[in-house]
Amino acid sequence: MSQISRRQAIAILGALGFGATAAACAGPGGTTAPGGATGPAAPATGAVTGKVSFAHWRGEDKAVFDELIKRFAALHDGVEVVQDISTSNDYNAQGLQKVRGAAIGDAFATFRGAQFKNFTEAGIYAELKGSKAAANYQPGLLTAGQSGQNQLGLPYQVVFPMPMANADLFDKAGAEIAPKDWDGFLAMCEKLAASGVIPISWPGGDVGNGGQLFNCMIANNAPVDDMCAQIEQGKLKCTDDWFLKMLGQYKELVPYLQPNATGTAVEPAQNLFSQGKAAMLATGSYHLAAVRGLGAKFPIELVFPNTSDGSGKFEGAYNATFILGVNSASKNQAASAAWIDFLSEPENAGYYANQTAQHVAVNNVEYTNADLKRLSPWLDKKTALAARFQFQNLDVRNAVEASATAVISGTSPEQAAEAAQKIVDERL
Amino acid sequence: MSTHTNMAAKRKATDSRTETDAAKGRRRSPTRVNPALYLFPLPAVAIIAFFLVMPTLQAFQYAITDWNGFSATFNYVGLDNFVRAFTKDSLFTNALTNNLKFVLMVVIAQTAFSLVLALLLTKNSRGSILLRALFFFPTILSSVSVAFIWKFIYDPNFGLANAVLGGVGLEALQGSYLGNNSQALYWVAVTQVWFHAGQMMVVYIAGLQAIPRELYEAAEMDGAGRWQQFKSITWPFVAPATSIVVAYTTVQSFKAFDLILGIAGNPPKQSLDILSTRIYSTFANSEFGYAAAQSIIFMAMIALVTWLQRRLLRLTPKGE
Repeated sequence: MSQISRRQAIAILGALGFGATAAACAGPGGTTAPGGATGPAAPATGAVTGKVSFAHWRGEDKAVFDELIKRFAALHDGVEVVQDISTSNDYNAQGLQKVRGAAIGDAFATFRGAQFKNFTEAGIYAELKGSKAAANYQPGLLTAGQSGQNQLGLPYQVVFPMPMANADLFDKAGAEIAPKDWDGFLAMCEKLAASGVIPISWPGGDVGNGGQLFNCMIANNAPVDDMCAQIEQGKLKCTDDWFLKMLGQYKELVPYLQPNATGTAVEPAQNLFSQGKAAMLATGSYHLAAVRGLGAKFPIELVFPNTSDGSGKFEGAYNATFILGVNSASKNQAASAAWIDFLSEPENAGYYANQTAQHVAVNNVEYTNADLKRLSPWLDKKTALAARFQFQNLDVRNAVEASATAVISGTSPEQAAEAAQKIVDERL
Repeated sequence: MSTHTNMAAKRKATDSRTETDAAKGRRRSPTRVNPALYLFPLPAVAIIAFFLVMPTLQAFQYAITDWNGFSATFNYVGLDNFVRAFTKDSLFTNALTNNLKFVLMVVIAQTAFSLVLALLLTKNSRGSILLRALFFFPTILSSVSVAFIWKFIYDPNFGLANAVLGGVGLEALQGSYLGNNSQALYWVAVTQVWFHAGQMMVVYIAGLQAIPRELYEAAEMDGAGRWQQFKSITWPFVAPATSIVVAYTTVQSFKAFDLILGIAGNPPKQSLDILSTRIYSTFANSEFGYAAAQSIIFMAMIALVTWLQRRLLRLTPKGE
């Protein structure tokens, strides 16, 4: 065997390094997803068999989905559905990179708003317009899964991002559970405080959950329904009067929140509510199962902090999310589409809803869960689609919502609004 | 005797090989080795090239684009991303300021605290060994566990800190901790020091135990007090250990990503946003080009701060 010198070895390693450099210089970007160039196509048809990866972030729903998977597999020989679950934070941050290319996520879910938009732009969704599944949904709720003329996703869950109320504490305090205007809401809080409980438990230390109250506070204050989209586009400003009025109303809530509310994480806020120390939990109906799990036995209602003088357009707020889709890059689109069809059947959607205590957007579902039954009238009320998910830029969303937290921690509405607007302006 | 014989035999064999090479007309380089030896580092080199060098080089390329992370197309934007970071992005400059403050607090507190602990626990007595293990314990915990433990401690409603203060009649000192924007970073710094001081203590103990006892005995005979002994013997001898502690703590504090996300949630609020969490938020916001530029600034910042520390503190003796 011939021998080589150190210099030759260095030359070889240098060549390798040069190769690595050249490889690194391959530009970013990549192949366009199948739907990207020509527009989305319907999922391929074929035999319902093989493995389907279902990517989502609802770890708490795993057992319920496992049962549904078992039922699905019983209908189709040779099909296997596996759940690829990430935490909601990870899924929000990295979901697109994980699902793109369909290494996982033959079928998947997305959050409404920025994530749905990014998935749409990346051409990941197959077209579900006219599909068997889409026909099962309430038409008004399907809009959250539309892009232009395409029905790309099916928003599975309907949640109410409004404060949950302990009806027993309201009765005891003699407080009206459905205030008609802002003065009524404050009077209600005053009665609750006078009865010796914390009126509102608010997780101000948790950006995601603390921000849900924003959906209610902005709904009747804004001059238009797409107010957050317009803030992001620079058409409306955080320094506008209506926005300042909303921040002023946040300031009026301070005496009714638990002490040090801006440092409270979501779990302690849930505990205050479930232990009967707080009359309301200002997150949303998606925490029903969690507070029941913490031992809450009292009847739960929803309260809309109506910021208007009684002439407000909306009676509440809702969100249609967990937007189901079929991956356009999936090698097993037939089985993936069949899985989405299966989930969208009223019987299966009902099972999911009742087991997870979440309303669904599917028609003709029978709610047997006591909490869902009690809150079902909200499905028919005039509620505003949760505004915070109109933001496409997460930095803008966080900055705008942070203005409310800043006011609660003592900053003046004007200063908080200016600070938020500065960040919005930087991203216009 | 036998060793001498072996060496002579080896020398003879080497001489005869050299003569054979000379006879064949070629001179054997002392650096020539069997080429098979060069294959051994290749797997490591390949792994480093693929997982470290290439992504780093790619980051430089991405940093001059407006790539969103998923599009097939992108534009080259020159140095715009770097200009934006420093002049048009108050979230980035806020994260940078927070990070520098955090590094400063943690480096000073952790270095001082770990040195004091090491000085108190240098002796190998049973009590010292037990306490060392106790102080080292947080180091073996995962950062997510540490974050959750301290999140509970700092909770204003059910947390240990307020409960203890309330229990001893100091309700006036109860606070919001992480909820107070002007204090939140300090409380996370306390957590970081608790988390890693034990590890740095071990580095210092190793340095302290290497100092010859005779020096202290001689100093005592000369009438030197405790402080003089520390100043003239201990500190110069632990300078290399300090250098390691400071450099490691700096890098650790810049990269306190998981601790911050665990304790403050994702995304963290502005008062707890540091460079690594900001970069993550930018990636999550589908601004890959801009996030890559931020990553390069981040790398440069760590290198610069570490270099400045070594220069300014003069912790490394000349020639090392």
